[in-house]
Amino acid sequence: MKLKTLTIAMVIMACLLSACGSTSSTDSAGTTASAGTTASEQSGSGSESAEKKKLDFMWFSDGVEGEVTQSIIDEYEAANPNIEINLIEVPYNDYENQLKIAISGGEPPALARVTYVGLFKDASITFDDYVDAESFKAQFSDSLDPFYIYDGKIKGVPIDTTANGLIYNKTAFEKASVEVPANPGDIWTIDEWIDAMKRVMESGDVRYGLVIDKTPHRFSTLLYGQGGRILSEDLQTTEINSEAGIRTVDIMKRLHDENICPASVWVGSENPNDMFRTGQVAMHLAGSWMMTNYRDNITDFEWGVTYLPVGVTRSSVPGGKYVIALDNTSVEQEAVDFIEYYISKEVNQKYCSESLFLSPRNDLADMEFSFGSESWQIFANELANSSPDAARDWGYEQTSALIKEPLLNGVAEVIQGKTSSKDMLDSLAEKVNAELAEINS
Amino acid sequence: MKKSKDWGIKIAPWVLLAPNLIIFAVFIVWPAIMGFTYSFYKWDGLGEKVFIGFNNYVKAFGSAEFWGAFGRTAAYALISVPLIMAAALLLANLLVKDIKLKGFFRASFYWPKMISFIIVGLSFRFLFGDSFGVINYILEVLGFKSVAWLTDSFFAQLVVILATVWSMAGYYMVMFISGLQSIPESYYEASQVDGATSAQRFFLITLPLLKPTTFLVLILSIIDVFKAYPLIKALTGGGPASSTKMIVQYIYEEGFTKSNLGYASALSMILLVVLAIFTGIQFKINRGGEI
Repeated sequence: MKLKTLTIAMVIMACLLSACGSTSSTDSAGTTASAGTTASEQSGSGSESAEKKKLDFMWFSDGVEGEVTQSIIDEYEAANPNIEINLIEVPYNDYENQLKIAISGGEPPALARVTYVGLFKDASITFDDYVDAESFKAQFSDSLDPFYIYDGKIKGVPIDTTANGLIYNKTAFEKASVEVPANPGDIWTIDEWIDAMKRVMESGDVRYGLVIDKTPHRFSTLLYGQGGRILSEDLQTTEINSEAGIRTVDIMKRLHDENICPASVWVGSENPNDMFRTGQVAMHLAGSWMMTNYRDNITDFEWGVTYLPVGVTRSSVPGGKYVIALDNTSVEQEAVDFIEYYISKEVNQKYCSESLFLSPRNDLADMEFSFGSESWQIFANELANSSPDAARDWGYEQTSALIKEPLLNGVAEVIQGKTSSKDMLDSLAEKVNAELAEINS
Repeated sequence: MKKSKDWGIKIAPWVLLAPNLIIFAVFIVWPAIMGFTYSFYKWDGLGEKVFIGFNNYVKAFGSAEFWGAFGRTAAYALISVPLIMAAALLLANLLVKDIKLKGFFRASFYWPKMISFIIVGLSFRFLFGDSFGVINYILEVLGFKSVAWLTDSFFAQLVVILATVWSMAGYYMVMFISGLQSIPESYYEASQVDGATSAQRFFLITLPLLKPTTFLVLILSIIDVFKAYPLIKALTGGGPASSTKMIVQYIYEEGFTKSNLGYASALSMILLVVLAIFTGIQFKINRGGEI
């Protein structure tokens, strides 16, 4: 009986091991493919497949850009039969962690789309070693330099550009007979902006005047408009607790005290996109990346884009996405070849026009869009009038990690009346400066 | 022949255990060892690891944020756990009796345990949302003022506790039902003959004989509550300000938002020690069945 038990146990074990074995084999093949590190296809026996190079492209999507990129990849593969590119989509919330895990695990993808090149600059190739750096850089807007050039070396390539901006409920504004600025000469001051939103609220068509994404990046839109900045010129200390910073937090408090902004976004955790889409909010301080989302999801009312209000000066915040090629993949040259194709004028035009992005290329500055041409002109104008401090602050990869939590919590406490703008910012600056000193030590 | 048979009997359990042991070693033990090692380094997950000895532990014990998160977690456990236990015991007492639709009610109260904590969090946010929540909508329709459920620290903590109790009570109810069923019916019959009231029967028979189960539930629920993260993240995001941010969220943010993986590892080790103490007590109870 006991021998029988042992026999059954051995059989079960053998089955499990064989299952593990076959899974492992599949995974192993998958991992090799997904890592994009293998120069030649391991499993192929023919000479044609042995020469085929596999590149993994780690990706996240805000809208339809993943589908557009896949179609570009399909065209590239058709023209280059020895190249196979595997687009791996990962949800953005976990994207940077997944990429870090792949890199630190020794299996980096060949290519990756990233928001902050600086976070991965030590793991990515230097493009200067593969291309003529000067002519390569000359393709792109100079204002983007801090986002992808580190210590004078190209560590990533811009593929699309975004601008923070003001999206509004056109139907509600029209019903309230309130006009939005139609050209840069009509731009609202902060007081005029608040007054316009109040009038729309009073018309009874919306419950709130404004939602602002709960991120330091969107907060900084108002900060730059007030003439402030997050970091000093040498990136060694923070200047967020300047008079401009205090004015900015005071504006945030005023917007909440006067019930223009719902507390549920900045004090709570309600999603401002969802709130705007209900039609119960007059304006959304967001960015150009929301265009596809609102185009596809808002059907109950008309919406549009208008100019951000002016404080001491005008400013939006430039941003965008970049593609990096990872080091130690043995397909670095193939990755660079693909990126050069991907960022070429015709391909980038297709990518940006179909995904609804501004192009980072200088020769596509006046690109036509099939949807929302006026809105894109406004976003482009916002970018052209942005503070250079914005690009420097956000080109530094540690900015978000340094200020995110204390700023979001601090502003929430100011809104709740638990502390003053000055005290909150002074305390935040002390904390951030200590962390900067530790980073730079 | 006999020798090989004995050897077979000795080896069989290990063969059967091997798959689980391998999984446990690879996914639990090895990461824990790595985490312990990382806790002595300054490391952002990508660059070079710099050995800094016990500095991460020193930093943690001197950090107001750490103690804030730890204190909030302890307070959350102190309030939630008795409520979870009371609700579970009450439900178990009601559903151990022969009532109609007993199976249906048992399944219904257990059901929240089967839902992902994220879904529970989102559902409670849908109910208690300040601007577009169902409860505030009903309050307004009835002519009352809406309540800042998730933007007032006190109410946000209250909603988090409510969601925690709702999602966990059903699971512990099952344990209490099992404990109650093991109490011999004859004790109750004898007490009835002696004229004991329901309250006397509950406090003098049920509670003392349920002590091992009660203690097991206490320890398990403390461990569960100390590990709380997805429910709170989905419900309040840890806010307003940091009023509902617990220790696991603090560790997650240090590790994955700020890329302080060494420091986050040290924090994890501290939490591991705290949970190990509770688990040790639980093991002792399981073995001896006594407190």
